[in-house]
Amino acid sequence: MQANKPENFTQNVTDALAQPDLKMIIRRTTDKAEAKRSDAIANFPEFEKARAQGQKVKDHTIKHMEHYLAEFEKNALAQGTIVHWASTAEEASKIVLDICREHKAKKVTRSKSMLGEEIGLTHAFDNSEMERIETDLAEHIIQLAGDPPSHIIWPAMHRSREDVVKLFREFHSDPTYSEEITDLVRSARRDLRTKFLTSDIGISGSNFLLADSGSSCTVTNEGNAELTITPPKVHIVTAGIEKLVPSMAHAIPLLRLLTRSATGADITQYITFHNGPKRKNDADGPEECHIVLVDNGRTKMLAEGMEEMLRCIRCGACMNHCVVYKHIGGHAYGSVYPGPMGSVLTPHLQSLEVANKQTHACTMNGRCEDVCPVNIPLPKLLRSLRAQSWEKKYEPLTNRFVVKFFGVLAKRPQLFQLFSSCSLIFMKAFSRNGWIKYMPFTSGWTRNRDLIEPETTTFMHQYKKMKKSESGGS
Amino acid sequence: MNKQISDMSREKIFSAIQAAKPTITADAKTIEDEALELLKESEFARPQLMSADATEALMLRIDAGLVIGTTCEKISTLDMLPHSVKQFFNKNALPSELKVQSVEPLNKLNWQGITTDIDIVNDNTVGLCWAEYGVAETGSFVAHSGPEMPILLNFLPLYLIAVIPKSKILHYMDDYALIANEMAKKKQTPRNMCLISGVSGTTDIEGVLVKGAHGPEVLHIIIVEDE
Repeated sequence: MQANKPENFTQNVTDALAQPDLKMIIRRTTDKAEAKRSDAIANFPEFEKARAQGQKVKDHTIKHMEHYLAEFEKNALAQGTIVHWASTAEEASKIVLDICREHKAKKVTRSKSMLGEEIGLTHAFDNSEMERIETDLAEHIIQLAGDPPSHIIWPAMHRSREDVVKLFREFHSDPTYSEEITDLVRSARRDLRTKFLTSDIGISGSNFLLADSGSSCTVTNEGNAELTITPPKVHIVTAGIEKLVPSMAHAIPLLRLLTRSATGADITQYITFHNGPKRKNDADGPEECHIVLVDNGRTKMLAEGMEEMLRCIRCGACMNHCVVYKHIGGHAYGSVYPGPMGSVLTPHLQSLEVANKQTHACTMNGRCEDVCPVNIPLPKLLRSLRAQSWEKKYEPLTNRFVVKFFGVLAKRPQLFQLFSSCSLIFMKAFSRNGWIKYMPFTSGWTRNRDLIEPETTTFMHQYKKMKKSESGGS
Repeated sequence: MNKQISDMSREKIFSAIQAAKPTITADAKTIEDEALELLKESEFARPQLMSADATEALMLRIDAGLVIGTTCEKISTLDMLPHSVKQFFNKNALPSELKVQSVEPLNKLNWQGITTDIDIVNDNTVGLCWAEYGVAETGSFVAHSGPEMPILLNFLPLYLIAVIPKSKILHYMDDYALIANEMAKKKQTPRNMCLISGVSGTTDIEGVLVKGAHGPEVLHIIIVEDE
């Protein structure tokens, strides 16, 4: 499957809505995630306090980002980690590939990291002489299928069990002929086991970077991060600069929030803190450790008043609760990050010019903000991006004309009322049995659904009538 | 070449942060105090334990099925461990073969009747790990990498037994973080600190939980009262 582009959002949505089973497949996972999160929060009465603490930890670190970045660098170097800095996705990707080439790597294992996707690492390896092996089961599935991820926690949620059966039979060296999910997982275990142990380089992301020790932290249910990182001679971490926290004690409240918000579990099975290369006489572990600290739009967010978005801990709760995401899925957004958080991030990681339509793919029902474990005001940020998009003239001409026209009317009450009254007569002319199937200037709405017939009189007319009857009755 | 890119990017990133927040300056001590203040909230922002006693809380959590694929038992003395391991073999119909972590408390036990030097690379094996700590809040055990602790011992076998001395069971993850912070201050942090809470699992196919995705499918925790 070819990756969609964010600038083709309208067409992407049309294509997604035309897929007969997509909505059902998405809801199977997101509805379950929603219910499990709800149970987890119900069993954690301290959630609101934890959320406030998590927000404060992130805000404190963002406020003093310069200090903590310098601390992290100093302590990571002291652990023996080689620290690299990258301003852009291209730089980050080049640094990683060059390290692999310097070590003459043939096979590279990678544990799931959205930052890796963001900096284009998957494509960079596919266009290189090296073999890329994704070790997270979902990433393994989408690698075999040639798909981009459709969710930040369950990247293969758009693939059904039947799809996985076909893929594993085609690509696994010792495939199962059963269609049971347990057997499919066993097939992947067999296929990946040798690859873990014969890899030249292991690449991971990092859920948190601890400034006081220079550590990176991976959080998984499968344990694939440790199996990716430990056997090869070289470990490369790629991480966004916003992943910093002062210390492990500050990461703990965020871990409580992350796992409950992402999967509804109190805790994930494997949380590992990685601290540089193996020590002298260690029984296993990589001999060399690199970390690539990536900006790619994050300092721009800081400068443009979008620092609240840097709190994001990538739990995916906002998309699991988003009515738009549940209808169109992740691929339609044309970005590594879909859903509400993606609609705020993508304009900064790519540009608002290419990703402005996503900012409108929101009903403003506020559910994303309600469930966000670090209180990111996503609707407010989306509204701010809409305003920027308007100022930069990225909105279609029709929209601009309509809004300007409304502005002219809104400033002139009598003209507004006259226009409203005329509109009612106009709309009534197209109404049949209480519904409007077609009417000029409204094809954007009536193409997919009918428009309800308006009231006989305008709101102002009804309001005045009501007031009059109230005063008459008193 | 990459060094040059990296150095230039570093400068750019720090300049951009300074430009974005020109008025925010604070000395390291003020920042540290502010960070410490945030930790005071943890006491009120963490879940209640199932018992005030850490060992009991950990065991209750596992018995309630809240730690995926995990069972637990308590033994009074360490020399009872080989017997418990044999019972584990019988329960799971496994051959008496075990990869034991080479640490002094385990080395001096009588493992008669059990082959203890097996290859953990084989998939269908049993590993035995001497945990550094236990955490009641999450039903976890903690493993630190080191000369006697191959991290892969916790990830390659399909069956895993973790032994936790009762005296090392902490109430909350925060308690472990304080120990880690102290290790960081003394520059004694091990390469890996693994907080393991259950077995390897995945819900990546249709949201259905399957245990033993890459690592252990079965985890048995043995708490030793008097080590």
